[in-house]
Amino acid sequence: MVSKVLRAASAPVRLLLLGAFVWLGTACVQAEEGPVIAAAADLNFALTEVAQRFRDVTGHTVKLTFGSSGNFFTQITNGAPFQLFLSADEAYVQKLAERGLMRDGGALYAVGRVVVYAPNGSPLKVDGALAGVAAALGDGQISHFAIANPEHAPYGRAAREALEAAGLWSKIRPFLVLGENATQAMQFATSGSAQGGIVPLSLVLASQVEGHGTWALLPESSHAPLRQRMALLKDADEVATAFYDFMQTTPAREIMQRHGFILPVSN
Amino acid sequence: MRREVAPLSVVLAQQGPIPLDVALSCGPGELLALVGPSGSGKTTVLRAIAGLYRPASGRISADGDTWFDSDTGLWVSPQVRAVGLVFQDYALFPHLSALGNVRLAMLRLPEPERSRQAAALLARVHLDGLEARTPDKLSGGQRQRVALARALARDPKVLLLDEPFSAVDRMTRERLKEELAGLRRSLEVPILLVTHDLEEAQALADRICVIHAGTTLQSGTPDDVRLRPNSPLVARLMGHTNVFEGTIVQASAGSGEGRIRWGERVLRVATTGGFRDGDRVAWLIPSGYIALVDAGADDGVAKGTLIEVTPLGEMTALGVRVGPDPHTLLRFKLATRDIAARALAPDSPVGVHLHPEGIHLMLPVS
Amino acid sequence: MDWTAFALSLKLAVWTCVLLLPLAILIARALAWGRFPLKSVVESLIMLPLVLPPTVLGFYLLVAFSPQSTFGAFLKAIVGEPLVFTFAGILVASVLINLPFAVQPIQRALEAIPPNVREAAFVSGLSRWETMRRVELPLAWPGVVSAIALVIAHTLGEFGVILMIGGSIPGQTRVMSIAIYDNVQAFRTDQAAVMSAALLAFSLAAIALVHVLARWQRTTSHAP
Repeated sequence: MVSKVLRAASAPVRLLLLGAFVWLGTACVQAEEGPVIAAAADLNFALTEVAQRFRDVTGHTVKLTFGSSGNFFTQITNGAPFQLFLSADEAYVQKLAERGLMRDGGALYAVGRVVVYAPNGSPLKVDGALAGVAAALGDGQISHFAIANPEHAPYGRAAREALEAAGLWSKIRPFLVLGENATQAMQFATSGSAQGGIVPLSLVLASQVEGHGTWALLPESSHAPLRQRMALLKDADEVATAFYDFMQTTPAREIMQRHGFILPVSN
Repeated sequence: MRREVAPLSVVLAQQGPIPLDVALSCGPGELLALVGPSGSGKTTVLRAIAGLYRPASGRISADGDTWFDSDTGLWVSPQVRAVGLVFQDYALFPHLSALGNVRLAMLRLPEPERSRQAAALLARVHLDGLEARTPDKLSGGQRQRVALARALARDPKVLLLDEPFSAVDRMTRERLKEELAGLRRSLEVPILLVTHDLEEAQALADRICVIHAGTTLQSGTPDDVRLRPNSPLVARLMGHTNVFEGTIVQASAGSGEGRIRWGERVLRVATTGGFRDGDRVAWLIPSGYIALVDAGADDGVAKGTLIEVTPLGEMTALGVRVGPDPHTLLRFKLATRDIAARALAPDSPVGVHLHPEGIHLMLPVS
Repeated sequence: MDWTAFALSLKLAVWTCVLLLPLAILIARALAWGRFPLKSVVESLIMLPLVLPPTVLGFYLLVAFSPQSTFGAFLKAIVGEPLVFTFAGILVASVLINLPFAVQPIQRALEAIPPNVREAAFVSGLSRWETMRRVELPLAWPGVVSAIALVIAHTLGEFGVILMIGGSIPGQTRVMSIAIYDNVQAFRTDQAAVMSAALLAFSLAAIALVHVLARWQRTTSHAP
């Protein structure tokens, strides 16, 4: 019966039918709605857990998308439909607020830390003063070193500052592999094709990464502080607002702390 | 199909890109053969009548409808002109069966009438039983019949055939010609057949029209045009080889003979028509009016040398040079057995007799 | 397995076909038989997405779609929302970058039709529209099938342009190819593996299906 109908209909009609069918199908699948939240890449594991807890508590779902803060800044300026922005650098949030795109100046939700990381099998020795990196550079043992792109990723900027503080920036520059964002830098650092890198603490603490390499915390003094600020966009809905509030509650803060973030003083 | 149909009338003129200077007409039920060598513009004329080519100026009308008039800017699309056109390579729809091809030309009819009439047309061209075959499974002759049925499906006011017999073998050609002749009896529309084959034109056409380099030169019955061409060019196009120049020595008066000078000779002609003494003329004589006589015979005979003897089965082709001028070579054919008796050899002196009735005078090439 | 991303890729591929095919057929006809000035310029423009790097295309589309530009504002007025970071935006982009994949095979197939077959149709009383429907398209069908297969395969694999003008908005612009990329970055390699295998299998199935349909269509009758 179906084949008879299909046979009678000409090709364009068939194509339209297929299109309508697909649209309906996808509409069913996309039943789960929720505000889209732009989050800095270093929050990859931490925020996923927070969102999970948020769902358990309130029953609401949020859609997370991770990337570099600088990229999100550009997208939001161009009208991207995010409702909440968690930046790794508060300057971006402040600039957006100045342009009148945000509801307010937002709130500080964490301070980030960076580590120097070496995957298993790498000749690189990790230490907070980056002496091991200097030594490996001197011995010519480093061909690739991964950091996030300093142009638009705050953790990349911090990595550059730390390398400059240790007097290694110009020496290591030819060997740098730049990640689109902090997680891609992490990808490069763990993949084994780089001898190491400078990546967020929050990423090396994740269970998926554990045991794949060694790392050492870099002192806060070696870079400008990574003050991570979040803010709601002008037309954010109640679920986004609820999530924003939830981020500042104890259960969320506890999760953030476990993932290596330093918490600002609670309001 | 019995109805009153007015004649097809075509007048076309343009300088380029394809030069045209055409005037022809074809009456209902009449078959006009448009004859000319390749590249003479015959197909362009057909396309113009069908509506597929728009010349710079002219007028085309059929069955009382005007399809093209450059004065008023009228141009009727091919879809609206009820024209039946059989393309030289048939141009059948390759993805449709024979029946499908014919049905597609009958969309104005609803089903089941459409299929019924299409099947009837195929039967009319003797293709019943082959309706379901696609063109790739049909022979050349069968494809042509499908093309013909499709052309007739439009209930056309004019039937156009573009070199319909050029692509088939001789036996099929003969059969198709017979069928066309048979079909004609029931068709009351003007039929225009384009061909470069003179014999075909002679055999099938009621009238022929000679075209050359886009210009229609002469129209008339096949015999008229063949025996009385109005110019050396038409004469050559109609296959005459004995076309020469001469001068009127004595114009004929009343029903008496005239005389023309041809080189050193003076020939008798049955009539000089409207020419006067001293006029330069072109003249021709068909092969059948030339006789071979003894070299020693008396006057009325032109003496010359036998240059070519070419046996062609029943007939033998002869070439006789009359005089030193290379433009005086007479070509004609005689029955082989008549020649055998004479023991002719190349370069032997012979005499030829040119019958006055056969000499036809024309305006010379200027 | 990110079903939303999968559904989104599917939606994008099918709707690109639905919107692009009529457009491509009209353009292919014009290029196959039309005579107009600057025809070769138009042909070159259509081929452009084949040779330009996706980032160049993405950049120009981003500029064109941005509500700050006049064209983008005009589009926003028609569609109702700005085109960047929306499904409508990546659909428009997808239609534009798939033009050569759709136009080329259809144009070649149409050019292969002998010109006097079309003329025979006109003389048989078929309007240009009917000729296209009953003669040209059936004869050019293999070209149309190729076009569909190429467009689907190319759209399912499109990454750079979509990422640039769509971002990675779940449910809107995060198509399968981008979701795989995100998962690899986020160390969800098993997810990435599952989705890659699914995309590969689906692409092969789609192309095979298109060809089977074409063969099936050819064997059934085409009576008008």
